[in-house]
Amino acid sequence: MSFWINRRRFMQATSSAIAVGALSSVVRPASAQSSGELRVTVGGGDVGKATIEAYVKPFEAETGIKVTPITDDANTGQIELMVKSSNVTLDVAYLSQGAALTLAGKGLLENIDYSIHKKDELDGIFDFAKQPFGIASLIYSFNMVYNTEAFPASKPRPMTWADFWDVEKFPGIRTMVSGQYGSEGPWEEALLADGVPADQLYPMDIDRIFASLDKIKPHIRKWWGTGSEVQQLLHDKAVDVAQSYDGRALRLIDQGAPVEINRNQAKLQWDYWVIPKAGPNMQNAQKWIEFVTRADRQAAFTQLFPEGPTNRNAFKLIPDEVARKLPTHPEYMKSCVSMKGQWYNDIGPDGLTNTDKLIQRWNEWVLQ
Amino acid sequence: MKTFQKLGQMPIGLTVPALALLLVIFGIPIIHLFLNSINAPAFSATNYYKFFGQPANVRVLFQTIEVSVVATAICLIVGYPTAYLIVTASRSLRITLIALVIIPYLTSGLARTYAWIVILGDRGVINNVLVHLGVIHSPLQLIYNTMAVYIGMVHIMLPLMILPLVSAMMGIDRSLMAAARSMGARPLTAFWRVFFPLSLPGVRSGSLLVFVFCLGFYITPAALGGLRDAMLSTFIAGQVASSFDIPRIATSAFILLAIAVAVLSMLGLDLAGAQGRAPTPARKSWVARLPIFGLLKRYFSEFLSPYRAKLWTTQLYQAGDNSSLSNIVGPLFVLLVMVYLLSPGLIVIIMSFSAGAFLEFPPSGLSLQWYRSFFGDPSWNGAAWTSIQIGVAVAILSTIVGTLAAYGLNRTHPRLRGLLTMAILTPVTIPVIVVGIATYLGLVNLGLIGSTTGIVLAQSLGAIGIVVVIVSATLANFDRTLEQAAKSMRASPLQTFMRVTLPLIRPGVIGGAVFAFLHSFDELVITSLVSGYSIRTLPLKMWENIRNQIDPTIAAVSALLMLVPVLWLIVLYLTWWRSRPRDHHSLRELAT
Repeated sequence: MSFWINRRRFMQATSSAIAVGALSSVVRPASAQSSGELRVTVGGGDVGKATIEAYVKPFEAETGIKVTPITDDANTGQIELMVKSSNVTLDVAYLSQGAALTLAGKGLLENIDYSIHKKDELDGIFDFAKQPFGIASLIYSFNMVYNTEAFPASKPRPMTWADFWDVEKFPGIRTMVSGQYGSEGPWEEALLADGVPADQLYPMDIDRIFASLDKIKPHIRKWWGTGSEVQQLLHDKAVDVAQSYDGRALRLIDQGAPVEINRNQAKLQWDYWVIPKAGPNMQNAQKWIEFVTRADRQAAFTQLFPEGPTNRNAFKLIPDEVARKLPTHPEYMKSCVSMKGQWYNDIGPDGLTNTDKLIQRWNEWVLQ
Repeated sequence: MKTFQKLGQMPIGLTVPALALLLVIFGIPIIHLFLNSINAPAFSATNYYKFFGQPANVRVLFQTIEVSVVATAICLIVGYPTAYLIVTASRSLRITLIALVIIPYLTSGLARTYAWIVILGDRGVINNVLVHLGVIHSPLQLIYNTMAVYIGMVHIMLPLMILPLVSAMMGIDRSLMAAARSMGARPLTAFWRVFFPLSLPGVRSGSLLVFVFCLGFYITPAALGGLRDAMLSTFIAGQVASSFDIPRIATSAFILLAIAVAVLSMLGLDLAGAQGRAPTPARKSWVARLPIFGLLKRYFSEFLSPYRAKLWTTQLYQAGDNSSLSNIVGPLFVLLVMVYLLSPGLIVIIMSFSAGAFLEFPPSGLSLQWYRSFFGDPSWNGAAWTSIQIGVAVAILSTIVGTLAAYGLNRTHPRLRGLLTMAILTPVTIPVIVVGIATYLGLVNLGLIGSTTGIVLAQSLGAIGIVVVIVSATLANFDRTLEQAAKSMRASPLQTFMRVTLPLIRPGVIGGAVFAFLHSFDELVITSLVSGYSIRTLPLKMWENIRNQIDPTIAAVSALLMLVPVLWLIVLYLTWWRSRPRDHHSLRELAT
């Protein structure tokens, strides 16, 4: 069960309009594939529903290719096993930044064929989103989220991570994300709280991260592991201020919970569409990636599921009240930090990646 | 038929199907993984040095063992008296109690963990009640500590302790206790020197199952524990998620396996227990070890025993029970255990009728919307149907193969038995993720990834282990002279097995089948790997749901999972138990 617990970030927002019938995943054995097909992981829950509506159905209509959407997350272990055993049953997957970089580093992903993309679409896509091994699918963020009953507008509210660390000035029960997976953790926030300027975070000083975390450790009620966990903590009012995914908080807000998202010093993270090496439907997979990175498709997706598009042109097609929910709204982007996935995958002289080092330090730190 | 006879003569042959399955799907790839961990063909222990070079690894290893030992001990302390009281209860009460023990085991582990959060949380049931009553002003910190981890783990594991104990105790000939009492043993002495030694196979197999499962625990400590409550599986999960470095993952896994083997050999792997049916030589209490006390005690014992024997005969013919204290304490204890076992499930059922979009207790309103969401959605009911089909196939396959293996193991040389038992138990001993990787590699070779057959075979590995443990416990108390008697009357080995052995070990076989089905019905990690994104089982769907939107559909599914087996047990009771002319106690009495 432990395998996928860090795949989180999902939420349910304004998606009740989506027909229930759309989410049945058609099951067929791998051997039944032919050239006119495509097997894609589309994520579970509402992200899956939105992907089917905004991408799968129009793609089938335009290309005539039969898509089998798999309403679950792909995971690195399985893709590695599939590719290494030459038994690839998946044509396109979307993976978190860290996972995609890890697989790309091991040479398990196909290169993206940028020649079939239109120039004006490519120009709209963020530079960080265009990698040889994949194109970013959506952008989400880690934010500070507080309960408005504990922190009413009349009183000062924690606005920076330094405020979050200041337990005297802003008393309240706190929760932060667990760092057990290394690739995602409270690292950037710890440095920001310690006064490191946002543009000088990388390369991160691991000693300084843990020195800073030492200070907040006694005041964290729970280091959460999954998005559903922090969502439940905020919902139950068991915590006053949290580090949370924006999507989880948005879902609570849509349902009338007294929480508010602080967009200042938000940390942007994104997923990539990738193609496992030597899959059976390579050309269709390339067509899929071209299709889903178009501005109009991303705009349609965003209105079903409010996470940031990677194609900036999409903002021209998105109404403002939806755009304000997105972590990549131009106004929020000014005070954001972007997670630098490459740093996490850099290998040191000891043969360990920074992610490995963070995991080791975290494991020692939790037992102290 | 001939082969069967031959197998019957060579008991070890009966383990062949189990071992063959194990070897092809799991054994060869796991050996491959082991070679990986020692960098074959260069052969070096670098990966092991690296593991022990990190102080955190060593500390978490000890912590994992400590948590597993303590949880097993608590399960045994709570489970043994419970099992005893269940066995001594009247038959209809016994069946009800056994059903009540099985029911919580049917609820999804995830849903139960959520229920404990609802009960113990800072804004949970207990704290809310206490604050409401004015007992406390700020919430007690009941959750996110080691205590909460034990509460959650013991809750999940207790049925796995109680059921092997019950099935072992049911096989104990109660007249032996009566014989001891008639010869002047006090109730406690009769229990301690006759009943307890005979129940040891159940203690062993229960402890073994619980301990081994605890070693691999991950979700519950992560959800209910604090920052420090890490298990080795937590660390392995980190490695899997970050780099998927197979040699390193395999190294951690083999260390865990080594621990399991070491502890199990201390516990005594010999599941078959004492075959001679003679109580083990007197266990000496600390009092008896002191010479003077021993002498005095023996003197008084000798002096008193004729009196006690006389008293016993008078008690025997008394109408009621004279001890009012034990009349209250026993049922009260069972009641408390049942409340503990059942209340999280009850909370899950109540939450499933919530009108809100979250798991809430008490729910803000009542509705059936989450049941409609389950039955109306093909991705839910389709997954449920797939799981039932796979579960039945796994139960059939592993019960047949596992019972044969247990029967064969029971008749082999003890030393070989220990070794083979360990081999068969490996898939439940080592972290499930490693089993998943090994099974994946095994099934790739057979071309069975993404097929139902592949999933059934993969899930059967663990299920066979469970069946072997439970059936072995029952066989340990099985009187083999009955078979000899049957054979002396010219019954063939097959007839003997079908007519004599099988009916007598039926409780164990049925218990094994039920647990095999449940094992399959709850299996997630291995299934998701070998399903190759083609087959969706109910646990996969539940896990997708719980990660994404924790809506009460999960509670509705869990409630259904609890209610369906209750109905099933009632049907079973009405059709089978009732029609049985007599249970095996009376049969044994006839035979001996």
